[in-house]
Amino acid sequence: MNRIAQGIVLVLLGAGALSSTVFTDLYLNYVQAGFRPFLIAAAAMLIALGATVIAAEARSVLRGEVPVEPAGCGPGHAESGGHGHGAPRVAWLLLLPVLAVFVVAPPALGSYTAENASTAAPPREEEAHDELGEPGSEGPVEMEIQEFISRAWTDEKRSMEGKTIRLTGFAVPNPEGEGWYLARLQMACCAADAIVNRVLITDRPEPPEDSWWRAEGTWQPPEGDLRSVRDHRFSVETLEEVEDPPDPYE
Amino acid sequence: MPERPTGPAPPVHASLGDSLTARWDDPGDDLPPPDWGRPRGPRRLATVWMFALFTLALAAGNAWLSDRLTSEAFLAWATVFTAISLQALPFLVFGVALSAALTSFVPASFYRRVVPDNAYAAVPTAGAAGMVLPGCECASVPVAGGLIKRGVAPAAALTFLLAAPAINPVVLVATAVAFAGQPEMVLARLAASFGAAVTVGWVWARLGRTDWLRPPRAHHDPDAPRWQIFRESMLHDLMHAGGFLVLGALAAATVNVVVPRAWVAAVADMPVVSVLVLALFAVVLSICSEADAFVAVSLTEFSPTAKLAFLVVGPMVDLKLIALQGGTFGWSFVRRFVPLTLAAALVFTFAIGGLLL
Repeated sequence: MNRIAQGIVLVLLGAGALSSTVFTDLYLNYVQAGFRPFLIAAAAMLIALGATVIAAEARSVLRGEVPVEPAGCGPGHAESGGHGHGAPRVAWLLLLPVLAVFVVAPPALGSYTAENASTAAPPREEEAHDELGEPGSEGPVEMEIQEFISRAWTDEKRSMEGKTIRLTGFAVPNPEGEGWYLARLQMACCAADAIVNRVLITDRPEPPEDSWWRAEGTWQPPEGDLRSVRDHRFSVETLEEVEDPPDPYE
Repeated sequence: MPERPTGPAPPVHASLGDSLTARWDDPGDDLPPPDWGRPRGPRRLATVWMFALFTLALAAGNAWLSDRLTSEAFLAWATVFTAISLQALPFLVFGVALSAALTSFVPASFYRRVVPDNAYAAVPTAGAAGMVLPGCECASVPVAGGLIKRGVAPAAALTFLLAAPAINPVVLVATAVAFAGQPEMVLARLAASFGAAVTVGWVWARLGRTDWLRPPRAHHDPDAPRWQIFRESMLHDLMHAGGFLVLGALAAATVNVVVPRAWVAAVADMPVVSVLVLALFAVVLSICSEADAFVAVSLTEFSPTAKLAFLVVGPMVDLKLIALQGGTFGWSFVRRFVPLTLAAALVFTFAIGGLLL
């Protein structure tokens, strides 16, 4: 890999990171929103570094100079295959993320992952939840699925029972029995650590996989111990398809 | 030994070998040839053209291919691969920049003042330094490389490499948030990780040999401007570590998508096996240490000690990290360092897990 190739690879890598954060919201498919400034800063550094390397090479070509081997970039290491220009061949792999971002542009994880990933765990001790909804208001309470299942695991006073709750998520088939899941994915850092938050719906026919729905309904409290529940059941009053699905992670 | 012609080149060359040996002591030829070491102008031009075509292919692929890739498994794999690459990228770039700054702007005398001369005394200092500086494992590898280049004892730099991603404040807070109500898990993680990092450092100070580490590259031209040293150091480290990071991300994404969680859960009831399985799971999954606590807490079927193994082994040994270390320090280093680290991490997991959890 000669120096001009190294410079171009860095610029392309920076362009990939920059275009998925500044010009589109593609990065939200892969990492937390909080990564945006770091990705932009890293991309800017990559582009600046690559550009100065290319500029230095171009200058030496224009002057027709024999470039002095740059400081420290001595004859290649063993794995560079004998080419005396520093970078090992494995550095070409840096083009793979560029290909991934520009050509494949993978979508956010969906039901395929939700069927296989780990499910959320019951919280260890009772979390302090706020009162449900505005006091005195009658309408349904909008809630993240994450919050719903956390309450469902800890709501010993059954204060959520009978309240109308609105959940939004995508449909995931239940391979092991009746009904289907309305699910969202939760990521701590990036899509590799995504875990599933889901509620089981048995009183509506199963919609197509990965379609998005806004469901209003009520919690079906289980009999017996709340913490031993695996699937939280939700009985649906109204089910409405979502036209513009939001970020699948919550 | 082939017979060497002693006179002038024989008129008939019977074979390539003959022709080569014939020219061996031919004094008439200029050696090295006049274009030796010259920039290969046409080659550089070819490189530019090749990348121009590559960029066109990217645009074409973007227009034509993006919508036609529909295989769910492939897309899930591609998403996880992109996610790991993008998530690690800032940490790698900042780590490489910090390492380059350490090499080019901080004088060597500074390290001699701050780090104790005695390697045995320097190891715990380095471990404690890891507790203060927030850094991800992708960043700590180039930083440790930069420290070694500046003359810090390798044992101390390696302790820092292990400790910084495992017990930095961000990771400890993330662990406390994930394991709400179980402060003993944070304490156990801190104790086991610090113990393992310092132990590995001491063992390396006692037994480690310098030639196992790839020798730091040739010293810089002392007259070169500092920013130029900075630029070259950054370029070198990115090119060496970046490719391996991508390799690690490829492997981790494959495991993440191919291995069903149900297989992992199947062994949760076996006491020792479950600990080893979660340790192995941490190695192949290569999750960033700032996020691994959230995954560990979701593995509800497992014992606390098994989860501790996931938290202690993950930041110290994983596929992405092994590839990165191989690229930075060489494979004869990885062959010795990785098994040693894994063993120390497991011993401390069992000991601290038995004591605290």
